[in-house]
Amino acid sequence: MENVVASSRKKQGHVCRECHRVVEGEACAVCGSGNLSTDWTGYLVIIDPERSEISKKMNIKLPGKYALKVR
Amino acid sequence: MNMPEQTNRIFAIKTTSKQERTVADNIKKVIDNGDSDVKVLAIIVPQELKGYVLVETSEQMNRIEQLVEKVPHARVVLHGETTLAEVAHFLVPKPVVSGISEGTIVEMIAGPFKGEKAVVKRIDTGKEEITVELYESVLPIPITIRGDNVRVIDKGEDR
Ligand SMILES: [Zn+2]
Repeated sequence: MENVVASSRKKQGHVCRECHRVVEGEACAVCGSGNLSTDWTGYLVIIDPERSEISKKMNIKLPGKYALKVR
Repeated sequence: MNMPEQTNRIFAIKTTSKQERTVADNIKKVIDNGDSDVKVLAIIVPQELKGYVLVETSEQMNRIEQLVEKVPHARVVLHGETTLAEVAHFLVPKPVVSGISEGTIVEMIAGPFKGEKAVVKRIDTGKEEITVELYESVLPIPITIRGDNVRVIDKGEDR
């Protein structure tokens, strides 16, 4: 269990708190928000939002990389 | 909502240890580069599922096996497909306060009260916060903290 916690706490990139998108740089390219977090878990890569049922369920309209859960 | 019949399949791909996110990125890379024409729609990497990624696809298992051969750190496709319904709970991850209820005795594992015991008074699942009162304190002041800053010591009455 300790290993699990350690690996989930390792250094990771920023995600947008608004749309959960993985962000390169200072602000989210999609919603323009600068409200970013490094405290996130789970990962989601959306390739075809039009046909993906997961995208629909998560209400994601754009392809890209997202966090499943953000604090 | 009038949803069409679900046609997509979900397969689990075994990955090298701790490379779950890398595999998800690699799958996207292989498809973006045109190294594979297998139609993957999305990839889920649930925190709870160590050593696997889940792919949503309109293709059959043998096609996903072809894909896996081209993806670094991806190992094998598990036999048998699953449905979105079966993996939906990964998309709404369990709040960290689950397993804690009112009356649960907890120990603070972080923050200024680290090591103190407290009793849970209120739970805010949406914000993943709990309100506790220190157990041995003369003045029971409610403190609101993050649900993962405590360890459950005693489930209380509803054990
Ligand atoms: Zn955003």
